[in-house]
Amino acid sequence: MIVVLLIVHGLLAVTLLGPLNDQDLSLVPSRAAVGPLSFVGRFRGVDSSAYANAIVVLFVITAIGGGLLYPQYRLDVRTALEDLQLRSANGVFEIKEHLVAIGLGLLPTYWLFWRAPLGSPQAVARRYLTWLLAFIVWWSFLVGHVLNNIKGLLP
Amino acid sequence: MLFGILYLAAFYMDWSPFRYYPDTRKFHLQITPQDGPAILWYGWVAAAVVGSAIVAALVPRSVAERLRPSWAWVVPLAIMLLMMIYERRWFV
Repeated sequence: MIVVLLIVHGLLAVTLLGPLNDQDLSLVPSRAAVGPLSFVGRFRGVDSSAYANAIVVLFVITAIGGGLLYPQYRLDVRTALEDLQLRSANGVFEIKEHLVAIGLGLLPTYWLFWRAPLGSPQAVARRYLTWLLAFIVWWSFLVGHVLNNIKGLLP
Repeated sequence: MLFGILYLAAFYMDWSPFRYYPDTRKFHLQITPQDGPAILWYGWVAAAVVGSAIVAALVPRSVAERLRPSWAWVVPLAIMLLMMIYERRWFV
């Protein structure tokens, strides 16, 4: 059961990364395109405001999944990391916990700023909030994967 | 914005309104070392949620709207940096 939950948690994280990456890249300032759009140009040209609701919902559900997995992590994985004296691995996961909590707190503001028109005074704050959220999600995703695979990564 | 400040304060002071003990699958308000390792994270998040919700309910909208939009990302960024500085203890 816990393995199923872990897999679902990972899949939800991947699903969250999709729209979030689209949104981040669409916010990178760029010159107006001339001629047909490249792949990157089309990727960036999406209506990124459409993703805000989905990102909020996916973040919350993925965080809940992580919260349900946490007791098992605390008993099995963290004690193994301590036994193997992998302080850095323990440390990056501690940071992941804090970042996810901070990310949860960011969500209401993030959602409100994406409701504002794209050219509004909140545009700059919206850009940086989205990039902060993206950093949080990428850190959490990568740390989760590395720790999941850590025994296979060690010599 | 306030959520992050409350969360940071709670974890820095190692204070949680409750603890979860995964070995015994119980929540406790007091520290019970005989129940094994404790998880404080749920309590930190709960404290931040409740605290920021109370302040959000009490602060008038007119006051909140006077805050510059940049605070919305500057404060969380500062909190993340402070947290990273505190947690560097795992890497040194």
